[in-house]
Amino acid sequence: MTSTLPPSTAPASYDVGRRAHHHDVPAVRLDALRRTFPGAAGGAEVVAVDHVDLEIGTGEIIALLGPNGAGKTTTLDVVLGLVPPSSGTARVLGRAPREAVDAGLVSAVLQTGGLLADLTVRETLEYVAATYRRLPTGSASVADVLERTGLTALAGRRVSTCSGGEQQRLRFALALLPDPSLLVLDEPTAAMDVAARREFWATMHDETARGRTVVFATHYLEEADAFADRIVLMAGGRVVADGSTAEVRARATGRVVSASVTDPSAAVAAADRLRALLPSAVADVEVQGARLRVCSAAPDAVARALLVDLGAHDLEVVSGSLDEAFLLLTEEHR
Amino acid sequence: MSTTTPGTVTPGTTTPASTTAPSGRRTPAALTLLRLELRRVLRDPVTLFFTVALPAFLFLIFGTSEDYAGDDIGNGNVGMAIMIAMAGYGAVSATVSIGASSAVERSQGWGRQLGLTPLRDRTYVLVKASLSVLVALAPLTLVYLLGAVAGASGDASAWLLSYVVLACGATAFALYGLCFGLAFRSEAAVSGASGSVVVLSFLGNIFFPLSGGLLAFAKLTPLYGYVALARYPLTEGWVVTGDDSLVHDPLWLPITNVAVWTLVLAVAATLLVRRGRGRQ
Repeated sequence: MTSTLPPSTAPASYDVGRRAHHHDVPAVRLDALRRTFPGAAGGAEVVAVDHVDLEIGTGEIIALLGPNGAGKTTTLDVVLGLVPPSSGTARVLGRAPREAVDAGLVSAVLQTGGLLADLTVRETLEYVAATYRRLPTGSASVADVLERTGLTALAGRRVSTCSGGEQQRLRFALALLPDPSLLVLDEPTAAMDVAARREFWATMHDETARGRTVVFATHYLEEADAFADRIVLMAGGRVVADGSTAEVRARATGRVVSASVTDPSAAVAAADRLRALLPSAVADVEVQGARLRVCSAAPDAVARALLVDLGAHDLEVVSGSLDEAFLLLTEEHR
Repeated sequence: MSTTTPGTVTPGTTTPASTTAPSGRRTPAALTLLRLELRRVLRDPVTLFFTVALPAFLFLIFGTSEDYAGDDIGNGNVGMAIMIAMAGYGAVSATVSIGASSAVERSQGWGRQLGLTPLRDRTYVLVKASLSVLVALAPLTLVYLLGAVAGASGDASAWLLSYVVLACGATAFALYGLCFGLAFRSEAAVSGASGSVVVLSFLGNIFFPLSGGLLAFAKLTPLYGYVALARYPLTEGWVVTGDDSLVHDPLWLPITNVAVWTLVLAVAATLLVRRGRGRQ
């Protein structure tokens, strides 16, 4: 697969929301970030993040997209100062991650963030609020955050009796307590049903209107598409695509052109010839008997080449589904 | 937001990272956390009841209703020696369960949640250690009050010193619970830790007097040193054995026992914490 959107060409291509902030200290800057973990029972070490260079400007809303095991959570853990990089550097708003957390500049809703079941919603907020020296009076902020996340009515409820969606809203409320400049969300809607998910993103919209930088990890392309201005696609511990949602979407939703050649034994040779003819338009060719399936962002050119140059027949052009395209983009990096 | 004029700045529309309204005096974080942690303990009345009531019940059974309770030993009577032992069992049960549940709740994601805040590990440890002492004081004080009305007698210094040794020494056993919790990371760790305290209490010469080879072995176990040290002001080291004779422990024995076990538990807890860092 030749990538029409190589990962490192990003800065030139996604600047609508970025240029205005160009001179600012970036919200996040990762240079050659690598993080490995010791393998289980003395096995080979596991490379969670292989090599990531990434710059996120202030005010951007970024989706970190990728399948399980792509390195999203580990990347975010480094940004949040929860784990140190094995090599490379991470800066958050110009500071070391842990300093940024201490200053209340960054907070997060974690996929695996636990809550104490025997505290009430309000007490949980009071607990976390107490850890920040900077918060005005604790109670005022707690009441405010309860209101903004629609939890006021639930304030006296024990966490153990809250639904998954309500608990997630509480985690979100905790993240809002320090009024952070950078908000990190690691698969924030993973445990939610459709209604809760919609409600969550509606609240998020209000919050980002306040000018925060938001980085969220997801494996739902639709969610990334609907909410982010920029998508960073990760697979196998690396960034495999980075661009505006429109670009990544266009790339991700290429068409699948399929056609049959007359002689099945010549199919592989035909595929090679097609690649040679249209090196930049052919993302991937699959041969099934006499039939070629070609993934391409330029289906017209591929169709013409198939019919005219290769003498193929029974041509069919279909849109690849988002999920299919997403798999295609990430597959080779597993 | 008491310093902003209503209507000019609504909460939340301030730019990020600018919420620095002056506040006068704030309650220190550790006190707020301690208050909330205490409330959690009080919310579990069943566990609290057993923590407080079981040692008291055991004292009433073993320490008052038998004929030997009134026998003299050192600067007081046997009833008081039994009172000290049962109070120690209660205090240690309380701190072990708090240590274990702290480790478990941290490993189940609360640690990551707290990792996103400026909270320092040392503040957290201070809060949990204070909590464990406060909770340990409940069975300790109840058993001492029962002892005072039910015939335990001894010097004033024996009452005071044994109480202080039990309260302070119990904190070291929060480390024991912590190790269990860190090693097993599940709710079962908490009951496992509490169950093992019962076994250690038998070996600690707490529930009934041991003798012979078992007593010799018992002197190496952690609860033996703790209770022997607390009893020292009363008994001056004399121990009633299971076969009704008296043996003597020199003071260095319980002191060494307590010091070595505290060190072992602290090192084990540190190693387990180190192992548990990184991804959970």
